[in-house]
Amino acid sequence: MALCQNRLQEERKQWRRDHPFGFFAKPARGANGVLDLKVWECGIPGKDKTLWEGGLFKMTVTFPDEYPTKPPKCKFVPPLFHPNVYPSGTVCLSILNEEEGWKPAITIKQILLGVQDLLDDPNPDSPAQAEAYNLFKKDRTAYEAKVKRIVREHPAP
Amino acid sequence: MDSEDDFMSGMSSEDDVLQDESDNDDASNDDFNFDEPEPDDLGYSQKDEVKKEKKSFDVTYKVHHPQDIQRQQDDLIDEVNMILDIKKEEAAILLRHFRWNKERLIEDYMDRPKKVLESAGLGPSTSGPPKLEIIDGFACDICCEDEPGLESFAMKCGHRYCINCYNQYLAQKIKEEGEAARIQCPQDGCKRIIDAKSLDLLVTADLQTRYRELLTRTYVEDKEILKWCPAPDCQNAIECGIKKKDLDKVVPTVVCDCKHRFCFGCILAEHQPAPCDLVKRWLKKCADDSETANWIHANTKECPRCNSTIEKNGGCNHMTCRKCKHEFCWMCMGLWSEHGTSWYNCNRFEEKSGAEARDAQAKSRVSLERYLHYYNRYANHEQSAKLDKDIYQKTEKKMIQLQSASGMSWIEVQYLNSASQALQTCRQTLKWTYAFAFYLARNNLTVMFEDNQKDLEMAVEALSEMFEKPVQDLADPKLKVEIMDKTSYCNKRRVILLADTADNLANGEWEFGSDATA
Repeated sequence: MALCQNRLQEERKQWRRDHPFGFFAKPARGANGVLDLKVWECGIPGKDKTLWEGGLFKMTVTFPDEYPTKPPKCKFVPPLFHPNVYPSGTVCLSILNEEEGWKPAITIKQILLGVQDLLDDPNPDSPAQAEAYNLFKKDRTAYEAKVKRIVREHPAP
Repeated sequence: MDSEDDFMSGMSSEDDVLQDESDNDDASNDDFNFDEPEPDDLGYSQKDEVKKEKKSFDVTYKVHHPQDIQRQQDDLIDEVNMILDIKKEEAAILLRHFRWNKERLIEDYMDRPKKVLESAGLGPSTSGPPKLEIIDGFACDICCEDEPGLESFAMKCGHRYCINCYNQYLAQKIKEEGEAARIQCPQDGCKRIIDAKSLDLLVTADLQTRYRELLTRTYVEDKEILKWCPAPDCQNAIECGIKKKDLDKVVPTVVCDCKHRFCFGCILAEHQPAPCDLVKRWLKKCADDSETANWIHANTKECPRCNSTIEKNGGCNHMTCRKCKHEFCWMCMGLWSEHGTSWYNCNRFEEKSGAEARDAQAKSRVSLERYLHYYNRYANHEQSAKLDKDIYQKTEKKMIQLQSASGMSWIEVQYLNSASQALQTCRQTLKWTYAFAFYLARNNLTVMFEDNQKDLEMAVEALSEMFEKPVQDLADPKLKVEIMDKTSYCNKRRVILLADTADNLANGEWEFGSDATA
């Protein structure tokens, strides 16, 4: 628990000192107005020169008490149209999976950059929602058109 | 001194390994006996002389206790340590990476040591034993702690973390995830594997024990010739040379030192004479809804438009699907509107489709009855075996009562124990003969099989009846002789049945019916 708080405070310091362009990440304010270090609101911009360019997608990152031993949970709010995002908005990514690629030394910055990479480079081997996966597999033009529409609906400021 | 010790143990281990290999050869030779028909007769005549003689349906195997398993690993590690001149911990990691295939490891390592080390997670190395260090100005990347005097550790990859974070990370891996052989450095993307010596520095004694248990487990799981005994709380492993591809020719039943009898091929309780594949299919058939499907097939049709399943329970042939309102003819499944004026009397394909439907229904019913015939007998033996087991638990009590009732000694009442054991094993065999018979095609071999089955079954039922007699009857010496005779007769019938089935299986003589593919 102390480890979790400590690490998150340090992550926050690091992030404020330096973070990649276009991203944002900050602890959420609870109902009583107090900062909750274990829930962060983040924004991931689409990469330049990809379909997702110009969009900004909001994601909630929730850290468990066992963090950084266990990975945080990343959830797009609202849920995102993407083959590796569950209908609930939860992201399916190997480095976020405790049994797969999660390592305690992975930082928030690395997670956000990893999710950004995933946007334009979906993993067809672990589909998480039928709609985006089927379009991606069967009708690439329709898929791309839909992504472009979503980018227009979520423009970067 | 150290190196000399290693040398010595290495030598002895090599001997051991050679010994093991010759054992394996024995095993495979014995398997091949199945392919030669002659030695069986020989086996029979010998069997009468020596009771424990190997029967043609037996396989060669060896039971290993936990300390044997540990010793085998240590021997292999020592040997690689000596031949390749690398540290023992690293030899262990390499062996695990090569699934304990020592020959391949040595060959590959000789060819390209660097690549082998890299792929096993040992990467480029600098020498020196693992140790905890206190480094000025160190800040742990996991907990961000930077207080002076903080102990930290790094493997040869150089990724350094504090002892607390390492401890927590390893505890998570070992305790929660049951991981041991492939715990990587906590750094993202670093594939370096933690070795046993470093681990000892970083975690508490109970975790070290658990870690070694898990490592031992991977040794057994990695080796195709080793399998854990599935009995609860049994820590033994069985070594048997039967390969997966031989399982259609052999039914490898093994008996652990804990007395558990199981099939080496599929780890289920022993199921001779039925081969693993049939057992799997049979269990699935009995467990799932395949018989429901049979009923559905016999009694219903699907709506030609929406595929809803419809049971016609009366009325005329003019069907209106309740779901999609599609109107069709029950007889020909064609559109009702196309029936013109021949309403209520479909004559379009009446003869053909009517006959087909009748045929299909009759066939489905026959196959259901056939299945139930075998299933009921299978289930009956399963049930009886359970009851006999209860009796077995009461046998001891009975034996004591009998002692006081008849004045016989403990040794003299042992025959009840043998009878009870014979009942158990024979029932287990009988049970599976029914599953096996279900899949057999009708031919002369099958008739012979059924005769054997009948003989065994009658013998078992007779013994079972005698066995259940009250104690005062059992005191009669005549009954004792009868029970002993029946016991040995049952065992003999079982051997005959199993030997016959095993020989035909090994020679690929059994023909399986259409159900075998269903």
